[in-house]
Amino acid sequence: MPLPVALSLCEVRVRYGPRWVLDGVSLTVRRGEVVGLLGPNGSGKSTTLAVAAGVREPLAGRVAVEGLSPGSDPAGYARRIGFVPQECALYEELTAAENLDFFGRLYGLSGAELRRRVTRTLARVRLSERAGHRVGSFSGGLKQRLNLAVALLHDPPVLLLDEPTAALDPAGRDALFADLARLRDDGHAVLLSTHHLDEAELGCDRVVVLNAGRVVAVGPPAEVFRCHARERPVLYGHVRTCPPRFLLRAVRQRLGPGVEVEMTGRRLRLSARDTAELGQALAAVLAEGVELETYRTPRGTLERAVRADSSAGSERGRLG
Amino acid sequence: MHRLHLTLLLAAKDWRLFWADRRGALLCFLVPVILASAFGAVFHRPATSLAASRLPVLIVVEDGSEFAAQVAADLLVTPRFQARWATAGEVEAALANRRPAVAVLLPRGFARLQDWQPGSTADRPEVRILYHPTATTERQWAEGVVTEVVMKRLARSKFGGLLPPHDDAVFATPFRVEGVPVSAGATARFNSYSHSFCGMTLQYLLFWGMESGLQFLRERQRGVWLRTRAAPVPLGCVLAGKALATAGIALLQVLVTFGFGYVAFGVTVTGSFVGFVLLCLAACGLAASTGLLVAALGGTEARARSVSILVILGVSMLGGLWLPSFLLPGWLSDTALSLPTAWAMRGLGGVTWEGLGLGAVLPSVAVVAAFAAAFLTFAVIRLERSERHFRRGEQ
Repeated sequence: MPLPVALSLCEVRVRYGPRWVLDGVSLTVRRGEVVGLLGPNGSGKSTTLAVAAGVREPLAGRVAVEGLSPGSDPAGYARRIGFVPQECALYEELTAAENLDFFGRLYGLSGAELRRRVTRTLARVRLSERAGHRVGSFSGGLKQRLNLAVALLHDPPVLLLDEPTAALDPAGRDALFADLARLRDDGHAVLLSTHHLDEAELGCDRVVVLNAGRVVAVGPPAEVFRCHARERPVLYGHVRTCPPRFLLRAVRQRLGPGVEVEMTGRRLRLSARDTAELGQALAAVLAEGVELETYRTPRGTLERAVRADSSAGSERGRLG
Repeated sequence: MHRLHLTLLLAAKDWRLFWADRRGALLCFLVPVILASAFGAVFHRPATSLAASRLPVLIVVEDGSEFAAQVAADLLVTPRFQARWATAGEVEAALANRRPAVAVLLPRGFARLQDWQPGSTADRPEVRILYHPTATTERQWAEGVVTEVVMKRLARSKFGGLLPPHDDAVFATPFRVEGVPVSAGATARFNSYSHSFCGMTLQYLLFWGMESGLQFLRERQRGVWLRTRAAPVPLGCVLAGKALATAGIALLQVLVTFGFGYVAFGVTVTGSFVGFVLLCLAACGLAASTGLLVAALGGTEARARSVSILVILGVSMLGGLWLPSFLLPGWLSDTALSLPTAWAMRGLGGVTWEGLGLGAVLPSVAVVAAFAAAFLTFAVIRLERSERHFRRGEQ
């Protein structure tokens, strides 16, 4: 029996100036479910999360958490949401415990209950030993864990995470997805955005693919993938140091038009027409002195789905 | 009650953030104290110091007569001058550098003055007062002293044979001049440190307000703002918390600055203490509302900083926070009354060194508080509108 719907967006429309950034977006997230919001930059992922968090008001459509809309009971709605913005949403001048204490009080916690929850939440994200340290001294991974901890402190049924892995290394990313899996098992509804498709496959029960403010695909990652099986082999890697751009340009020129080489921060993405060509591409990159910390070649990818539908422009459809 | 709790919570957070950067916080208190002390020292004139009331002048005598020599000797010993001999060549170089700014020249033919008769219209000998173009006040001072000295010497020359030879009292002015400082307060004694501590405190309250506004702008660019807005906290509480924290730290700044002024330079409240407290509270409110105004109108941080510094320096100068406003042209000091700084300065000067009572400074309190309320209202309306536009995607 499916668990109840915790978050629902129905035909939500948002406009920034003359441009519609969300144009009739509908989605649901059930308790005990992790849903990935996928799409290229500018597709409307962050705006969808901001609307769900109650930070943005839709011009049309309905948003509800456990049947409650932000307009009917703003405070009650806010208490049911744990929002992790894309940037580090913490006071770097304060310690981890002070940040939790402050945000906990904003959500109406106090006294022994607040202290108990701070201790428990710090332990949950493995930051107990850093409780008294200033956030400014934390690494990107630690900050992201604390960022998540603040959202968990008031124990909301719905968690919204905007690109939570942006500042994380592979180990940090794996740890985050392990945390999210535990939260899912505890009955939380999790909606996260990412444009790294391998992450969606790794940690999401369902994905919602957005393009130009419209939902173009919804379903379990594997199912969405099956509908777009014309995939090219892809390799995702994490490099030790970011190579200069001219090096990547040289690699691209040498390999020809069939191979794609992309870097986002320290993330490398290679794709080719077949596995042999992908092997050649990897060899060429390594020959330039690029050191790979980790890499993986997903069994299948959603890449095709997003890219195919991105190129389809405003054509609307539901896949999977 | 819940809103008050949230407001206090947000204010306490800002208070904690302020103290998290201890060096920054220390400088926030230290800078106005240092500047006020420096300004006070520069303009300090001890009332009992004779040297301070003596005008430095050079005496040049081109007339070889005994009468001219006697006048020059009188000028050298008069207690109103700090005079020394000089040649005409030395005078030009000295005046160019204002070291000193005035010289008295007794030209050839000066002794003809001895032939003067009351009612005579004959050609009169001249005394030249040479001065630096910026030293018009000193020129008038020198002219007065020279007139007194020359007329005494002339009287001695005319009537000296009829009187005892060494009785100077005979030629003393037949009246006594007494300077009486006039102020609404009964105990007025100007203390340059009082002026500088009032002025610099007010100026740095405005700078602190600006800094608080810039912090707010920075905060709105960061993820914490989204998180705070996603929390069950009305915008009004966020703004009230910000204003409360700014005003609280401003009040601490006032206490530290005036406390130092009291201990180190004897800056005291000679007038109404209640008036002083009310003025300080109004000024702190002005600082807090200025902060929100900067956040509401600033746009980007860089733009807000540049414009705010310009405006604060402008209203500080015109309001008489650096130098007393009576040094400004009349029309400008009248125009300055449209600024809250001028009223705050007038009120603080009134209760510190002028000894004014509560009734006399209440208008200043009212005007400063009215400015603070107007700034606050305008800023809150602007910020709420901006937040509404943000939520609806209109910006």
